[in-house]
Amino acid sequence: MVIKTFKVGLKYLLRRPYTRLVPDREGPLTSDRTRGRHVLDMSKCTGCSMCQKVCPADAIQMVKVEGPWPQNVKKIFPRIDYQRCTFCGMCVEACPFNALSMTNISGWYLITRDKKSTLYNPEKLSKVFETKEYRITMVKSLAEVQRLKKEGESNA
Amino acid sequence: MSTEEDLLTMLRDRLPKDKVREVNITKWLNKFEIITDPENIRYVILALKGLGFNHLVAIETIDWLKKEPTFELIYYLASIERNGAMVLVRTKIPRDNPVIDSIHDILPFAYYQELENYEFFGITFRGHKGLKLWILEDNWDGPPPLRKDFDSVKYALEHYYKGLRYERGDSNE
Amino acid sequence: MKEVIVMNEEIELFFGPQHPGAPGNVGFKLKLKGERVLDVELIPGFLHRGFEKMMENRWWEVNVVLSSRYCVEDPDNMELGYVLAVDDLYGVEVPEKANHVRTVVAEMSRIQSHLFWIMFMGAGLGARYIPSWAMAAREEILKWYDYLTGHRIYHHYMVPGGIRWNVPQDFNERTLHTLNTVSKIVRDIEEAFITNKIVRERTEGVGVVKGSIAVELGVSGPTLRAAGIPYDIRKADPYASYGKVSFEVPVGSRGDSYDRIKIRVKEIYESIKIIEQLLPKINYEDKAYRLQLPTIPPNGEGLGRVEAARGEHLVHVVNLRSRYPYRVRIRPPSMPLLTTVLKYIVSNEEVTIADFPVIVKSLDPCAPDIDR
Ligand code: SF4
Ligand code: SF4
Repeated sequence: MVIKTFKVGLKYLLRRPYTRLVPDREGPLTSDRTRGRHVLDMSKCTGCSMCQKVCPADAIQMVKVEGPWPQNVKKIFPRIDYQRCTFCGMCVEACPFNALSMTNISGWYLITRDKKSTLYNPEKLSKVFETKEYRITMVKSLAEVQRLKKEGESNA
Repeated sequence: MSTEEDLLTMLRDRLPKDKVREVNITKWLNKFEIITDPENIRYVILALKGLGFNHLVAIETIDWLKKEPTFELIYYLASIERNGAMVLVRTKIPRDNPVIDSIHDILPFAYYQELENYEFFGITFRGHKGLKLWILEDNWDGPPPLRKDFDSVKYALEHYYKGLRYERGDSNE
Repeated sequence: MKEVIVMNEEIELFFGPQHPGAPGNVGFKLKLKGERVLDVELIPGFLHRGFEKMMENRWWEVNVVLSSRYCVEDPDNMELGYVLAVDDLYGVEVPEKANHVRTVVAEMSRIQSHLFWIMFMGAGLGARYIPSWAMAAREEILKWYDYLTGHRIYHHYMVPGGIRWNVPQDFNERTLHTLNTVSKIVRDIEEAFITNKIVRERTEGVGVVKGSIAVELGVSGPTLRAAGIPYDIRKADPYASYGKVSFEVPVGSRGDSYDRIKIRVKEIYESIKIIEQLLPKINYEDKAYRLQLPTIPPNGEGLGRVEAARGEHLVHVVNLRSRYPYRVRIRPPSMPLLTTVLKYIVSNEEVTIADFPVIVKSLDPCAPDIDR
């Protein structure tokens, strides 16, 4: 009986190790559907506060951002506190104007020594952000997408 | 669904009229519902145990403060011989004097369920020897927390945060 | 003449949450006489988060996010319990596709939970190789969850009225692939661990709960089935798609720790069988996977009863015409395991302090759900 254990154990001894390093990038731990860092489209957000109301972790606060926002009279936008966010995706689902969306970039930006760095202002949520593997840019139209794609191709 | 009706008639026959107010099938998920008075709770549970409903699943309290000043207790009893049929025994006790007989000597698991209801709703179970704070032991001195008139936010701010609110990263707001 | 000193005094020992033999975030107060455990008292509350109160302050659909969080090991069955209760409150029949996918997800959760438990059991018995194998198998399932739901541990994939997203086109192949990998590892574990002589000697005849007394102790799930009672809510009161598949309910005969080990491994195979039966039934063309429900449910009550990996999980919701639940009662499956069952075992047989962790682990309690 115990011999069997040794036999199977030996099989596993010869295998590759299964463990991985926790990456400082969005490596093997994500899939297409992984719920990660939010992106805010400030040209769509109307400041309706739905996302704030739905958030189960109370991670969203509405803050004022000055600027020309014709659709957003009160000029308030969500600010996400990633110390609290659970990445449930409720805010994305609740947003009636599809202003908030999620990327599948997850994890690395939560590793920090400074609590303040996990507080994402609306500007920071909507800006271009770059990781080792991706570069996320918010665009307004499909034409712009095509333009950026072309640029990327010509650069490469 | 004849077995269900059979069970219903059986329950109606076997439980005496003066001890039990109503025996119904609930609107939800076809469970049996027995409404009784708090004085008869031990009798009803014993009778049901004799009928094979000897698996206590849970005891629940609902604080009906918004409708009427009562606590409603629900005993969930299942019968394994009868293929998992479930009976809900419901009874109401007044909110200002929440006392009911304990059933922990009939079904041993009730001991812990009653303990839970005691600490979260302040219901006293007569005959229960070990009523004390159990889950909340050593870090609670407020009123029973699941009652509807208990303001958890206020209590937490006063007792745990010394009146301060949670500060988000930038405190210059 | 040699003098033998026998300690005849009863001592109390705190068997705490940090002890490597403890099953999670709970403590025990043991009354010992020499080596023998005379009495055990559970000390919960190290992880009390007040879920029932918290749920009263959040919207119906948002509570799904909370509902998985009181048991890390078996989150989807917990979600399913809540979601069934809310569906019942709305009085809706969810689309067939959603039912199938819900069942698949819940069964995966059961497999994952049993694997997690194999890890604990292996570590508790000193078989250090088992935990890494079981965790490797569980990792495959977590990857599958990430692929389907977007999260690894807490998935929030079920919503009142269906499932949150449609299943991807390659769902079938991907699931079968995952199951294949998992079942290979489980077979190896069975060969190396379950039939192992040392494991048998440590667990056979230890911690016996047998026969009808188990019913009165309030216990359900694998522990009740090991006691010889073929009770499974999936069969007795079928929810989701369990009425449409055929599977066996493994039953033990002796009710000891070893029976519980065997039954859980058998249940993994049964779960794989259920998923394999359901996969061809999922219609990929079907667009109906989620009902749009009004935000305020009708007045009334709803009940969800689920056979979770550890036993019966019951959720009762009450609504007084509001966006917030009036009351949510959660009866998690682990509470009888560590209270009545342990007390019964300790009072019935001679349990030594060395056997105690093995018995506790073989019951597979999920300590956080006692506190909630
Ligand atoms: S993902 Fe969930 S927790 Fe995070 S901000 Fe959105 S709603 Fe809040
Ligand atoms: S992100 Fe969406 S939900 Fe949130 S305030 Fe803007 S429009 Fe409303």
